[in-house]
Amino acid sequence: MIKNRKGTEKIISVYWFAILFIVAGAMVYMVSSFYGKPYDTREIEAGLLADKAAGCVSYAGYLRGGVLSQEFKEKFIEACGLNFETEDVYGWKEQGQYFLQIDFYDFNSYPGSNSLFSAFAGNDNLKDFCNLEGEKSSFCLERGLYTLDKEGKLYAIKITSIVRKTEKNEQ
Amino acid sequence: MIKNKKGNILTENIIFIVLNLVFITILLLFLFSKTGSAAVLEEKYAKQIALLIDATEPIMTIHLNMEDAIQKAEKENFPAGEIVKINGNVVTVKLREKGSGYSYSFFNDVEVNANFDTLNKKEYYFVISEK
Repeated sequence: MIKNRKGTEKIISVYWFAILFIVAGAMVYMVSSFYGKPYDTREIEAGLLADKAAGCVSYAGYLRGGVLSQEFKEKFIEACGLNFETEDVYGWKEQGQYFLQIDFYDFNSYPGSNSLFSAFAGNDNLKDFCNLEGEKSSFCLERGLYTLDKEGKLYAIKITSIVRKTEKNEQ
Repeated sequence: MIKNKKGNILTENIIFIVLNLVFITILLLFLFSKTGSAAVLEEKYAKQIALLIDATEPIMTIHLNMEDAIQKAEKENFPAGEIVKINGNVVTVKLREKGSGYSYSFFNDVEVNANFDTLNKKEYYFVISEK
Protein backbone atom coordinates (compact mmCIF):
# COMPACT_ATOMS: atom_id res chain seq x y z
CA MET A 1 0.00 0.00 0.00
CA ILE A 2 2.75 2.42 1.01
CA LYS A 3 4.66 1.58 -2.17
CA ASN A 4 1.59 2.22 -4.28
CA ARG A 5 0.92 5.55 -2.55
CA LYS A 6 4.48 6.72 -3.19
CA GLY A 7 4.20 5.69 -6.80
CA THR A 8 0.96 7.61 -7.18
CA GLU A 9 2.52 10.72 -5.57
CA LYS A 10 5.44 10.59 -8.01
CA ILE A 11 3.07 10.26 -10.94
CA ILE A 12 1.06 13.23 -9.63
CA SER A 13 4.20 15.36 -9.32
CA VAL A 14 5.25 14.42 -12.85
CA TYR A 15 1.81 15.45 -14.09
CA TRP A 16 2.04 18.61 -12.02
CA PHE A 17 5.27 19.60 -13.72
CA ALA A 18 3.85 18.67 -17.11
CA ILE A 19 0.91 20.99 -16.44
CA LEU A 20 3.29 23.73 -15.25
CA PHE A 21 5.32 23.44 -18.45
CA ILE A 22 2.19 23.57 -20.60
CA VAL A 23 0.91 26.65 -18.75
CA ALA A 24 4.34 28.31 -18.92
CA GLY A 25 4.64 27.49 -22.61
CA ALA A 26 1.23 29.02 -23.29
CA MET A 27 2.14 32.15 -21.30
CA VAL A 28 5.48 32.55 -23.08
CA TYR A 29 3.76 32.12 -26.45
CA MET A 30 1.02 34.63 -25.64
CA VAL A 31 3.39 37.24 -24.21
CA SER A 32 5.84 36.82 -27.10
CA SER A 33 3.11 37.11 -29.72
CA PHE A 34 1.58 40.16 -27.99
CA TYR A 35 4.81 42.08 -27.38
CA GLY A 36 6.39 40.84 -30.61
CA LYS A 37 3.80 42.76 -32.59
CA PRO A 38 3.97 46.53 -32.92
CA TYR A 39 1.32 48.79 -31.43
CA ASP A 40 -1.17 49.62 -34.16
CA THR A 41 -1.76 53.36 -33.90
CA ARG A 42 -3.07 53.94 -37.43
CA GLU A 43 -6.70 54.25 -36.37
CA ILE A 44 -5.84 57.13 -34.02
CA GLU A 45 -3.53 58.66 -36.62
CA ALA A 46 -6.19 58.51 -39.35
CA GLY A 47 -8.71 60.03 -36.92
CA LEU A 48 -6.35 62.88 -36.08
CA LEU A 49 -5.71 63.49 -39.77
CA ALA A 50 -9.45 63.68 -40.43
CA ASP A 51 -9.88 66.07 -37.47
CA LYS A 52 -7.09 68.27 -38.78
CA ALA A 53 -8.69 68.35 -42.24
CA ALA A 54 -12.09 69.19 -40.75
CA GLY A 55 -10.58 72.07 -38.76
CA CYS A 56 -8.81 73.24 -41.89
CA VAL A 57 -11.99 73.70 -43.96
CA SER A 58 -14.51 74.57 -41.31
CA TYR A 59 -14.49 76.61 -38.11
CA ALA A 60 -17.39 76.94 -35.66
CA GLY A 61 -19.80 75.46 -38.18
CA TYR A 62 -18.86 77.85 -40.98
CA LEU A 63 -16.76 77.23 -44.04
CA ARG A 64 -13.41 78.98 -43.92
CA GLY A 65 -12.76 81.63 -46.54
CA GLY A 66 -11.01 80.60 -49.74
CA VAL A 67 -11.61 76.88 -49.27
CA LEU A 68 -13.67 76.36 -52.43
CA SER A 69 -10.98 77.76 -54.69
CA GLN A 70 -8.46 76.41 -57.15
CA GLU A 71 -5.64 77.86 -55.05
CA PHE A 72 -6.75 75.86 -52.02
CA LYS A 73 -6.90 72.73 -54.16
CA GLU A 74 -3.37 73.26 -55.44
CA LYS A 75 -1.88 74.12 -52.07
CA PHE A 76 -4.01 71.76 -50.01
CA ILE A 77 -1.13 70.33 -47.92
CA GLU A 78 0.38 73.73 -47.11
CA ALA A 79 -3.01 75.36 -46.48
CA CYS A 80 -3.93 72.68 -43.94
CA GLY A 81 -0.50 72.67 -42.25
CA LEU A 82 0.33 69.09 -43.20
CA ASN A 83 3.60 67.37 -43.91
CA PHE A 84 3.41 63.90 -45.43
CA GLU A 85 7.17 63.22 -45.29
CA THR A 86 8.06 60.04 -43.41
CA GLU A 87 11.14 58.31 -42.11
CA ASP A 88 13.23 56.68 -44.83
CA VAL A 89 12.59 52.99 -44.11
CA TYR A 90 10.93 50.19 -46.07
CA GLY A 91 10.89 52.48 -49.12
CA TRP A 92 8.34 54.75 -47.42
CA LYS A 93 9.84 57.99 -48.77
CA GLU A 94 9.12 57.03 -52.39
CA GLN A 95 5.76 55.41 -51.71
CA GLY A 96 3.96 57.94 -49.54
CA GLN A 97 2.16 56.66 -46.49
CA TYR A 98 -0.75 59.08 -46.24
CA PHE A 99 -3.73 60.02 -48.31
CA LEU A 100 -6.32 62.68 -47.55
CA GLN A 101 -9.33 63.68 -49.60
CA ILE A 102 -12.08 66.19 -48.92
CA ASP A 103 -15.26 66.20 -50.98
CA PHE A 104 -17.87 68.93 -50.78
CA TYR A 105 -21.48 68.15 -51.65
CA ASP A 106 -24.63 70.17 -51.86
CA PHE A 107 -26.46 69.23 -48.65
CA ASN A 108 -29.87 69.07 -50.33
CA SER A 109 -28.84 66.42 -52.83
CA TYR A 110 -26.41 64.47 -50.62
CA PRO A 111 -25.90 61.54 -50.81
CA GLY A 112 -26.36 60.52 -54.38
CA SER A 113 -25.00 63.56 -56.13
CA ASN A 114 -21.54 64.22 -57.49
CA SER A 115 -19.21 66.33 -55.40
CA LEU A 116 -19.16 70.06 -56.07
CA PHE A 117 -15.53 70.39 -55.16
CA SER A 118 -12.73 68.02 -54.17
CA ALA A 119 -9.22 68.38 -52.89
CA PHE A 120 -6.76 65.62 -52.15
CA ALA A 121 -3.16 65.08 -51.14
CA GLY A 122 -0.82 62.14 -50.67
CA ASN A 123 -0.58 58.74 -52.30
CA ASP A 124 -3.94 58.05 -53.98
CA ASN A 125 -2.93 54.43 -54.73
CA LEU A 126 -3.61 53.70 -51.07
CA LYS A 127 -7.35 53.83 -51.76
CA ASP A 128 -7.04 50.53 -53.63
CA PHE A 129 -5.76 48.75 -50.51
CA CYS A 130 -8.53 49.92 -48.22
CA ASN A 131 -10.62 46.79 -48.22
CA LEU A 132 -7.74 44.35 -48.25
CA GLU A 133 -6.43 42.39 -45.33
CA GLY A 134 -2.84 41.42 -44.79
CA GLU A 135 0.56 42.95 -45.13
CA LYS A 136 -0.30 45.60 -47.71
CA SER A 137 -3.46 46.84 -46.09
CA SER A 138 -3.93 50.48 -45.18
CA PHE A 139 -6.12 51.91 -42.49
CA CYS A 140 -8.94 53.89 -44.06
CA LEU A 141 -11.34 56.22 -42.33
CA GLU A 142 -14.32 58.15 -43.64
CA ARG A 143 -15.88 60.99 -41.70
CA GLY A 144 -18.59 63.45 -42.54
CA LEU A 145 -19.61 66.90 -41.37
CA TYR A 146 -21.96 69.68 -42.36
CA THR A 147 -21.08 73.32 -42.67
CA LEU A 148 -22.55 76.63 -43.79
CA ASP A 149 -20.93 79.23 -45.96
CA LYS A 150 -21.35 82.97 -45.32
CA GLU A 151 -24.42 83.11 -47.55
CA GLY A 152 -26.06 80.38 -45.50
CA LYS A 153 -25.70 77.62 -48.07
CA LEU A 154 -25.36 74.23 -46.43
CA TYR A 155 -22.65 71.79 -47.50
CA ALA A 156 -22.02 68.14 -46.67
CA ILE A 157 -18.33 67.36 -46.42
CA LYS A 158 -16.85 63.88 -46.70
CA ILE A 159 -13.30 63.38 -45.44
CA THR A 160 -11.33 60.27 -46.38
CA SER A 161 -8.09 59.76 -44.51
CA ILE A 162 -5.79 56.81 -45.10
CA VAL A 163 -2.64 55.83 -43.25
CA ARG A 164 -0.47 52.97 -44.49
CA LYS A 165 2.68 52.57 -42.35
CA THR A 166 1.87 48.86 -42.34
CA GLU A 167 5.37 47.60 -41.52
CA LYS A 168 5.47 49.52 -38.24
CA ASN A 169 1.92 48.79 -37.18
CA GLU A 170 0.99 45.32 -38.30
CA GLN A 171 2.81 41.98 -38.44
CA MET B 1 11.54 3.61 10.07
CA ILE B 2 8.62 5.95 10.69
CA LYS B 3 11.01 8.83 11.35
CA ASN B 4 12.85 8.18 8.07
CA LYS B 5 9.59 8.01 6.14
CA LYS B 6 8.46 11.34 7.59
CA GLY B 7 11.86 12.83 6.79
CA ASN B 8 11.59 11.67 3.20
CA ILE B 9 8.12 13.13 2.78
CA LEU B 10 9.23 16.48 4.17
CA THR B 11 12.34 16.62 1.93
CA GLU B 12 10.30 15.67 -1.13
CA ASN B 13 7.73 18.34 -0.38
CA ILE B 14 10.38 21.01 0.18
CA ILE B 15 12.09 20.13 -3.10
CA PHE B 16 8.72 20.16 -4.84
CA ILE B 17 7.83 23.60 -3.45
CA VAL B 18 11.29 25.04 -4.16
CA LEU B 19 11.15 23.79 -7.76
CA ASN B 20 7.72 25.33 -8.19
CA LEU B 21 8.93 28.64 -6.81
CA VAL B 22 12.00 28.62 -9.06
CA PHE B 23 9.78 27.87 -12.02
CA ILE B 24 7.31 30.67 -11.25
CA THR B 25 10.18 33.14 -10.59
CA ILE B 26 11.73 32.37 -13.99
CA LEU B 27 8.33 32.85 -15.62
CA LEU B 28 7.76 36.19 -13.87
CA LEU B 29 11.26 37.39 -14.79
CA PHE B 30 10.51 36.56 -18.41
CA LEU B 31 7.23 38.47 -18.26
CA PHE B 32 8.81 41.56 -16.67
CA SER B 33 11.76 41.51 -19.08
CA LYS B 34 9.35 41.42 -22.03
CA THR B 35 6.93 44.09 -20.80
CA GLY B 36 9.59 46.56 -19.69
CA SER B 37 12.16 45.99 -22.40
CA ALA B 38 13.89 48.96 -23.99
CA ALA B 39 12.58 48.09 -27.46
CA VAL B 40 8.95 48.07 -26.29
CA LEU B 41 9.38 51.39 -24.44
CA GLU B 42 11.12 53.01 -27.40
CA GLU B 43 8.25 52.09 -29.72
CA LYS B 44 5.58 53.08 -27.20
CA TYR B 45 7.02 56.55 -26.56
CA ALA B 46 7.96 57.30 -30.21
CA LYS B 47 4.39 56.60 -31.31
CA GLN B 48 2.86 58.36 -28.33
CA ILE B 49 4.91 61.52 -28.91
CA ALA B 50 4.15 61.51 -32.66
CA LEU B 51 0.41 61.21 -31.98
CA LEU B 52 0.54 63.93 -29.31
CA ILE B 53 2.23 66.28 -31.78
CA ASP B 54 -0.39 65.43 -34.43
CA ALA B 55 -3.10 66.46 -31.98
CA THR B 56 -1.59 69.84 -31.10
CA GLU B 57 -1.68 73.34 -32.47
CA PRO B 58 1.20 75.81 -32.50
CA ILE B 59 2.04 77.65 -29.28
CA MET B 60 1.38 74.70 -27.04
CA THR B 61 3.59 72.88 -24.57
CA ILE B 62 3.08 69.21 -23.81
CA HIS B 63 4.44 67.56 -20.68
CA LEU B 64 4.91 63.81 -20.91
CA ASN B 65 5.80 61.60 -17.96
CA MET B 66 8.49 59.20 -19.15
CA GLU B 67 9.72 57.93 -15.80
CA ASP B 68 9.96 54.27 -16.81
CA ALA B 69 11.87 55.10 -20.01
CA ILE B 70 14.24 57.44 -18.17
CA GLN B 71 14.94 54.79 -15.53
CA LYS B 72 15.61 52.25 -18.26
CA ALA B 73 18.02 54.63 -20.01
CA GLU B 74 19.85 55.29 -16.73
CA LYS B 75 20.23 51.53 -16.21
CA GLU B 76 21.71 51.28 -19.68
CA ASN B 77 24.05 54.25 -18.93
CA PHE B 78 22.40 56.31 -21.65
CA PRO B 79 22.05 60.06 -20.99
CA ALA B 80 18.45 61.00 -20.15
CA GLY B 81 18.74 64.27 -22.05
CA GLU B 82 19.26 62.43 -25.32
CA ILE B 83 16.34 60.01 -25.21
CA VAL B 84 14.02 61.95 -27.51
CA LYS B 85 15.25 63.53 -30.74
CA ILE B 86 13.05 65.27 -33.27
CA ASN B 87 14.46 65.67 -36.74
CA GLY B 88 12.09 67.39 -39.15
CA ASN B 89 8.85 65.53 -38.64
CA VAL B 90 10.37 62.31 -37.33
CA VAL B 91 10.47 61.45 -33.61
CA THR B 92 13.24 59.11 -32.51
CA VAL B 93 13.31 57.55 -29.05
CA LYS B 94 16.51 55.83 -28.00
CA LEU B 95 17.14 54.24 -24.60
CA ARG B 96 20.47 52.46 -25.11
CA GLU B 97 23.80 52.94 -26.83
CA LYS B 98 23.39 50.03 -29.21
CA GLY B 99 20.78 50.26 -31.93
CA SER B 100 19.33 53.31 -33.57
CA GLY B 101 16.22 53.59 -31.41
CA TYR B 102 12.67 53.73 -32.77
CA SER B 103 11.47 56.39 -35.19
CA TYR B 104 7.95 57.43 -36.13
CA SER B 105 6.78 60.37 -38.20
CA PHE B 106 4.00 62.88 -37.56
CA PHE B 107 1.99 64.74 -40.21
CA ASN B 108 1.43 68.02 -38.37
CA ASP B 109 3.63 70.64 -40.04
CA VAL B 110 4.91 72.35 -36.91
CA GLU B 111 8.25 73.11 -35.29
CA VAL B 112 8.82 70.92 -32.22
CA ASN B 113 11.51 71.18 -29.57
CA ALA B 114 11.94 68.24 -27.21
CA ASN B 115 13.37 69.12 -23.78
CA PHE B 116 14.25 66.99 -20.78
CA ASP B 117 12.81 68.42 -17.57
CA THR B 118 15.95 68.73 -15.46
CA LEU B 119 14.01 69.75 -12.35
CA ASN B 120 11.89 66.67 -11.71
CA LYS B 121 13.91 64.36 -14.01
CA LYS B 122 10.81 62.34 -14.84
CA GLU B 123 9.38 64.23 -17.76
CA TYR B 124 10.03 65.49 -21.23
CA TYR B 125 8.26 68.60 -22.46
CA PHE B 126 7.61 69.51 -26.05
CA VAL B 127 7.29 73.09 -27.23
CA ILE B 128 5.18 73.39 -30.36
CA SER B 129 5.60 76.45 -32.52
CA GLU B 130 4.82 77.50 -36.07
CA LYS B 131 7.31 76.73 -38.83
